[in-house]
Amino acid sequence: MSGRILVSLKVNGREHDLAVKPNTTLLHAIRDELGLTGTKCGCESGDCGACTVLLDGRAVNSCLILAVDAAGAEITTIEGLASGAELHPLQKAFIKYGALQCGYCTPGQLMAARALLERNPNPSREEIHAALSGNLCRCGTYPRIEQAIQNWRSAADQALDARPRPDDEQDQQRDLQVVGHGVTRYDAPDKVTGRARYTGDIRLPDMLHGKILGSRVAHGIIRRIDTARARELPGVLAVITGRDVPDTWYGVSPARYDEQILAKERVRYVGDEVAAVAAVDEETAERALQLIEVEYEELPAVFDPEEAMQPDAPLVHPEHPRFARNVNTKVEWHFGDVARGFAEADCIREQRFVGNRSYQAPLEPHAAIARWEHHGGRLTVWSSAQTPHYMQHMLARVFELPMGSIRMIRPPVGGGFGAKCETTPLEFCAVILARMTGRPVMMKYSRQEMFYHFRGRHKQYIDMKVGVKKDGTLTAVQSRILLDGGAYTSFGVITAYYAGSMLPTLYKIPNYKYDGYRIYTNLPASGAMRGHGVPQPRFAMESLLDMLAEDLGLDPIEIRLRNAMEPNTRTINDLDVSSCEFKATLERARRESGWTEKRGRLAPGKGIGVGCGGFVSGAGYPIYRSDFPHSNAVIRVHEDGLAVSLFIATAEIGQGCDTVLPQIAAEELGIPYERVWLAECDSVLAPIDLGSYASRVTLMAGNAVKMAAAEVKSQLLKIAARQLGCDPHGLTARDGRIFIAEHPQLGMGWDEVARLAFSRSGPVVGTGYYQPPPGLGGTYKGATVGTSPAYSFATSVCEVAVDLQTGYVTVERFHDFSDAGTVINPVTFHGQVEGGIIMGLGETLLEDVRHDRRGVLLNPDLHGYLIPTICDTPAIHSRAVDSYEPHGPFGAKEIGEGCLPPILGAIANAIYDACGVRATELPITAESILRGLKARRERGGGPTGRGSTT
Amino acid sequence: MEIADLSYHRPATLAEACRLAGRLGAGVRFLAGGTELLVDLKSKRDAAEHLVSLRDVPELRGIRDEDDGLHIGAMASLAEVAESSAVARRFPALGEAILTMGGAQIRNQATIGGNFCRAVSCADTPPLCLAAGARLRLAGGEGERILPAEEFFVGPRLTVLQPGEVLVEIHLPPLPAATGASYQRFSLRGGMAVAVAAVAALIRLDGERIGAARVVLGAVAPVPLIARACTGILADEPPAAGLFARAGRAAAAEAQPITDIRGSEAYRRELVEILTVRALETATARARGERT
Repeated sequence: MSGRILVSLKVNGREHDLAVKPNTTLLHAIRDELGLTGTKCGCESGDCGACTVLLDGRAVNSCLILAVDAAGAEITTIEGLASGAELHPLQKAFIKYGALQCGYCTPGQLMAARALLERNPNPSREEIHAALSGNLCRCGTYPRIEQAIQNWRSAADQALDARPRPDDEQDQQRDLQVVGHGVTRYDAPDKVTGRARYTGDIRLPDMLHGKILGSRVAHGIIRRIDTARARELPGVLAVITGRDVPDTWYGVSPARYDEQILAKERVRYVGDEVAAVAAVDEETAERALQLIEVEYEELPAVFDPEEAMQPDAPLVHPEHPRFARNVNTKVEWHFGDVARGFAEADCIREQRFVGNRSYQAPLEPHAAIARWEHHGGRLTVWSSAQTPHYMQHMLARVFELPMGSIRMIRPPVGGGFGAKCETTPLEFCAVILARMTGRPVMMKYSRQEMFYHFRGRHKQYIDMKVGVKKDGTLTAVQSRILLDGGAYTSFGVITAYYAGSMLPTLYKIPNYKYDGYRIYTNLPASGAMRGHGVPQPRFAMESLLDMLAEDLGLDPIEIRLRNAMEPNTRTINDLDVSSCEFKATLERARRESGWTEKRGRLAPGKGIGVGCGGFVSGAGYPIYRSDFPHSNAVIRVHEDGLAVSLFIATAEIGQGCDTVLPQIAAEELGIPYERVWLAECDSVLAPIDLGSYASRVTLMAGNAVKMAAAEVKSQLLKIAARQLGCDPHGLTARDGRIFIAEHPQLGMGWDEVARLAFSRSGPVVGTGYYQPPPGLGGTYKGATVGTSPAYSFATSVCEVAVDLQTGYVTVERFHDFSDAGTVINPVTFHGQVEGGIIMGLGETLLEDVRHDRRGVLLNPDLHGYLIPTICDTPAIHSRAVDSYEPHGPFGAKEIGEGCLPPILGAIANAIYDACGVRATELPITAESILRGLKARRERGGGPTGRGSTT
Repeated sequence: MEIADLSYHRPATLAEACRLAGRLGAGVRFLAGGTELLVDLKSKRDAAEHLVSLRDVPELRGIRDEDDGLHIGAMASLAEVAESSAVARRFPALGEAILTMGGAQIRNQATIGGNFCRAVSCADTPPLCLAAGARLRLAGGEGERILPAEEFFVGPRLTVLQPGEVLVEIHLPPLPAATGASYQRFSLRGGMAVAVAAVAALIRLDGERIGAARVVLGAVAPVPLIARACTGILADEPPAAGLFARAGRAAAAEAQPITDIRGSEAYRRELVEILTVRALETATARARGERT
């Protein structure tokens, strides 16, 4: 009876007769048997809702229903939501309100919303929350999803309109036609219909499925691997171990290549990859893994960085003598003279802060496909990568192939936040297995494997000391940070530098000392997570500033204003800040958040707090040494002049670059946004771009696109000038016309000029590139990390309610003010801010990857590792202050990462205001607050923190 | 996360389901909503050679409102129970409790019977049902039996169900006049989070005194725990803040919580104390006919 069973599934109104195995879930039947890949797989255990479909009109998780058990029911998937070419009003509303970012959760959100509206066409906020709490969105699009559902009918009344809409919140007055407008996301129609094909949705003929076996011990030597039984399993085509992979070490930072594709001898954490299998389907591959026998000689392991630095601690990388005492990276900086600074201080605060192991948890598990091509040694790799170029580079290096023989394709990425920045064993093993079998191989991490591969936030142990004068002026800052690096370097060298380099960018610090030690432990490797290295030290600094302000009787916003960074400043650590409206963010926050009326005047248990932060707009230097420009773009005008194609290899990971870059192209060209086609991200089509990390895309890729567009425009203006008999410099291109600036009525259609150009000399193509200004930063060791052409600044004011009996914190409201330069698209801009706040909220209050004494993770799933739901979403008022960055395209700089670092301190400071508990450990759990409240009571403190210190 | 090979059966009657399960032996699991069973099978926490789907068994369906109380079929989904007008009339606290559970998808799929039979210690429907004196009807090869809900749970994921035995329905006798119930739970996030501690309270007022009280604790013991010491304090006393505080402390003392990633043993005891007071206050207000 365990063979296949014939069932009839009614999906989207059509009957399908399928022969399924009884253990096949409805999710897999829909995706793999019917090819309806709009329904996404996010966790396989009912925790995320990405697989939501309707079963007899009710929202259900298709991962928790057997296909055989669903026979006889009416099933509706995202593909069945629109009727033909006509989108469902809800889909239109999602597009209109920008209720999607990476889009991976979107089909599930839409189906859950559809089920709600069927029963209740006018749901309240609470009803929406109850109906959608089971649909996680890691991009934090919840406020927009709620708005779209509330207004679903009014969106339906309007035709789908991709024309620029002036945004009602636009603070900035620029004479721009496309930039600054909340145009429809380029990727929205595909993402609301389930048409967007993420890497895991791709089906190639003859494709095999691979899986990787992880170590079950945290530290050990592999004494024997027996793969015979796995090889004999029917359906298995190849099995590889450490013997079958190149000897080359790889990693992220060239100075610390310490990883191998599969362990050759030593495993260094539970989950460390030891063998891989390719089979006809995932189920067979998974079964084959269970048949691989690995014998380990278990060695003592170390899970705490302080213990790992002791002389007798086990070494995680004994092969590399340079990593004595498990010190992976050491940073020792001293700018100015902190001893003198502290001597001059009137008030000093010193405190230990302990961070958490938070994880990016993108909703789309990482996936890769490799296929060797039939024309001689060429390889195509698809990967859900934030940094396709670095992957191409690393694959070329490890497999000793010319970069040009590797074709990298980056399908839509279902969220990254730093988790998908590096080449993983998935890409490497897929390439090897594809070569061995002669067939394409797809590899995916399960949700659990995502947690084990990790590359999330480094847990930092921060000892920070800050000195100020009576008026609040900073005299010295000193910090010593231990970073728990886990078993490999990943981005960690850079993390250790960022944890120190970014602190002096926000406030003017005259004397600064930073000692950072990144320590190896036998835990999953930490990497680069949104805000890279910065949020935890920022949490410490923002907390200390509030403590000092209280000591001095100063208002927390006032103490920040007195030290705030100003434009055109070189920081103590030689970073050049150009545009800077940090003070404006503080002043507007004070004015518009109700700060003065609320601060110190809220009911017991209610509190308000401020936090600040910011980030680089792209790193000044690439990760590996290269003279190539960081971003490169090509624009080709179509023959009829009514469209252009933009070729650029950036990574749309939800942040909106596939919309913002066409906007920049359209603005510079002088044509409507709708005339821009964006080519797929494919290295055969587009030149290199370093990818989506360090918040670099808007400024760097934006500049490259603007330059390519300017080159096209200049060709067209010359031709138009000849036709109009004027000087090209007197011409303007705008909204599809080219005309004499002083006589706008005298002109020609942009398309007409383009047709002339094509007819005369063939394709009109423009190219552009961006290289950061040369020589950024100082000359000391590590001076390059933290350099950037521009910095963002932000102030966040948070309001919380603390349940004084249980310690539970409800974040009620955020007022956020960002200096991100010119806002290219207010919809994607505020979407990023809202998402950063929600992610920051999770990191502050909920998230921590925990492990037991043997290095086994205790919560490698979305059931035990809790990320915010729609019910945890505060009211968010996000505003951009007027700012113009000279190095940015149309004055723009970053927003995606700088919006997160202020959040931790803002919440912690609000909690202190609400109940007098000064949290110094992340996450700030209800239990820890209750402990703090008790300690306060025992010391005789009042119910709130006002006027007293803990 | 693949489920191991198994056979699937879909009987059309209760008798057939019991017969099948009896014949297939120890490797059989009844499939109801599947929201817990499938996760356990994928994660290999549980194993099954055979699944007997209860989807088509008519005897397990529906919610009946009869003179002797509510009869909730084991296969009634949580959403069905929460939306039932009979439940809203007879025992509204149960609907409220269900709305704190999972997300809409889980409530649509999961069944109340499954919530009982998987017997995880943080299950949300048993504490209130125990407090209300629910009786469970079980059917198996040996015939039917009826037992008080409090006798059903043996330990974490363990019940008195014999192989091949099915939970048919949950019978909630009518609540006496001047009775109020409340379910208070604490979880770590605003939605989609299991209970860290939970308290169900039922109060019957006898004039100005508490005629009868029942307090059942969830997520803080291997099984839903009837807080007998706490209940003893309440009987025949006039409801008052001091009384409830004492009852809360008693409940906290009799809880048997563990420490895990969601909270320490000590914190869970504190939560029990707070939640007990809140549940007693709300239940008392409801017993007085106040809207809460």
